[in-house]
Amino acid sequence: MDYLATEYLRSRKIPSTACSGCGLGQCHKALVKAIDGVGLTVSDIVWGTSIGCAGRQTFATWKGDSFAGTHGRVYAIARGLRLALPPEKRIVLTVGDGDAFGIGFNHLLHAVRTNAQMTIMVCDNLGYQSTGGQFGWTTPPGVVTDSSPYGMFEPNWVQPERDVLRILKEAGATFLARHVSMDGASLVESLTKALQNNGLSLVHVVYPCTTNFGKNALGTRKPVEIFNWIKRHAAPLGKEKEETIWRTGIYHDASNSRPEFSTLMRRKVDEIRGRYS
Amino acid sequence: MKRYLETGNFGVAQAAVMAGCRVFCGYPITPATEIAEAMSGLLPRVGGFYVQTEDETAAMHMAIGAALGGMKAMTATSGPGFILYADPYGWAIGCEIPLVVLNSQRVGPVSGITGAPGQGEFYLSRYVTQGGNFETIVLAPNSAQEAFFLTIEAFYLSERFRTPVTVLADQLITDGWEDLSIPETDEEKQAMGLRFAERKAHPGPQFYPPTDEIDIPPVVLGKDTGALCSDWTPTEEGYDIETVEAQHKHAYRLIYKIRNHRDLITRHESLFLDDDPKIIAVAFGTPSRVVKTAVKKARAQGKKIGMIRPISLWPFPDELFKRNATYLSVELNYDGQMVREIQRAAPRESSVHFFGKCGELPTVAELSQIFDDLLQGKPPRRRGWETEAW
Repeated sequence: MDYLATEYLRSRKIPSTACSGCGLGQCHKALVKAIDGVGLTVSDIVWGTSIGCAGRQTFATWKGDSFAGTHGRVYAIARGLRLALPPEKRIVLTVGDGDAFGIGFNHLLHAVRTNAQMTIMVCDNLGYQSTGGQFGWTTPPGVVTDSSPYGMFEPNWVQPERDVLRILKEAGATFLARHVSMDGASLVESLTKALQNNGLSLVHVVYPCTTNFGKNALGTRKPVEIFNWIKRHAAPLGKEKEETIWRTGIYHDASNSRPEFSTLMRRKVDEIRGRYS
Repeated sequence: MKRYLETGNFGVAQAAVMAGCRVFCGYPITPATEIAEAMSGLLPRVGGFYVQTEDETAAMHMAIGAALGGMKAMTATSGPGFILYADPYGWAIGCEIPLVVLNSQRVGPVSGITGAPGQGEFYLSRYVTQGGNFETIVLAPNSAQEAFFLTIEAFYLSERFRTPVTVLADQLITDGWEDLSIPETDEEKQAMGLRFAERKAHPGPQFYPPTDEIDIPPVVLGKDTGALCSDWTPTEEGYDIETVEAQHKHAYRLIYKIRNHRDLITRHESLFLDDDPKIIAVAFGTPSRVVKTAVKKARAQGKKIGMIRPISLWPFPDELFKRNATYLSVELNYDGQMVREIQRAAPRESSVHFFGKCGELPTVAELSQIFDDLLQGKPPRRRGWETEAW
């Protein structure tokens, strides 16, 4: 990480203020590794974040231009920004599960519909942890949280029959993948492909929260036990077992198959301009 | 100069394009929809983008995104959409993003009457977002021509003050058809008093200096300046910080960059104030036109009545209300909003009264009656369900 940190991250944001044992660092590192692997530099990327653990801990970590949007609205900001930025600039977003799949879902769907270039890493700690540990839209069934004291009984967005990635695929996303933060090389590989898509890419990454989720749902704050619990409930697509909650790997790769939002807008504007000039 | 018989909506769209606006993000809503429609036609011809968004929250966030990328951007809505701008409006104030927001007021509360004028967002345009610790700039036209002028002025002020600026119109201004002159040459623009400011980009690293300075270029992303902006309290470089001292500095800047340069913002129209009139009628926006007629009529009858029309509403022009007089606030709402600000700003010995209608303009006859009552020292007559209290 030293080389990557020096090259891409702001020294004053290292170490981060994330809780001890938090898996966000794994997510963050995988993304920076993928960026490095693709050969992108600090000036190639505008980095956006949002609110909550993922947003706040990753804001201003990127050495280049960065912003943090209001909760769930970052996809709308990014679409506007996409129109104004030169096409070669890339937008990378690190957001939380509540941000993407709850409060921001409508904006996310419309960003997906228009295939606006942004590489979104949804860092999912399985609920609202920075507000103390309430359930979220991917909290596994039966799990006890501060706002589901009788166990999570609402349907969630990762159950096979309503997998959020399937919804996003139908909405027109051009690259979709899911991982857990311990996936290492395969996570970096998915993020690499996500970055190579000139369109909307979303990589959903489940990571451990030791402070709230571990304590409430698993009765432990020991990182190793929480890491192992998450790993045990993850399996690559096609190799699912009964206990599998998260099906990992690339869900959908239609990279560079649809016009990108700002490219389409520019092309149309040029056409119209030509017609009337 | 080109002359049109057109709506305020048309004038606003023409002004925005002339001011350099190249992104319009909007969600259809009566009576501001025609601005979006006009922009969808105009912008592509000048290389700009019209985006119809999924909701109002997205509209303003997307406009902010475009502004953050260095483009001049605008959005337009009515009350039910304007309240949804509360979230992004706060972000734009805090991050100091130049932007123009038009609100064409209709009758509320909530959706109310869509095709009739109201003035229910006087306070909402001041306290437009959560948390306090800021000032806003709001300009209120009373004609299509002035809507054109003030839209350009809004773009100018938003750049100089690094803040979103609201043009607070109403349904009669945006939907009404009027004589409208659009300047074509630089000389004509200058003669009309139009002011323009270029979009610049802050070079960093101190993106949020704790001063009241204006003319500081805004944060623009994508210029490799290491720019940082967020909804959290920023350090001078833009880092997220949770200290009261940093918040104090930031709030100081947001409040006093506007308060300490209010002379650049303030504009008003006044009538018959030279002979210390006993009564001063106060109105902004469309009702001010009826008030003006009623005041002129009263003057023709020898009654000492004057008039003030604030054109810049916020910061509130306290200096206009230094006279000891009987003030009458005429507004298109029933609860009385501007009247409270007049009451606050006027000398203690003054008496301040309110006459409100909503969805329709007051008539000259109604106003003449109130003037006569006030001249005799009687409070305005009320209809059965009205009270003087506010």
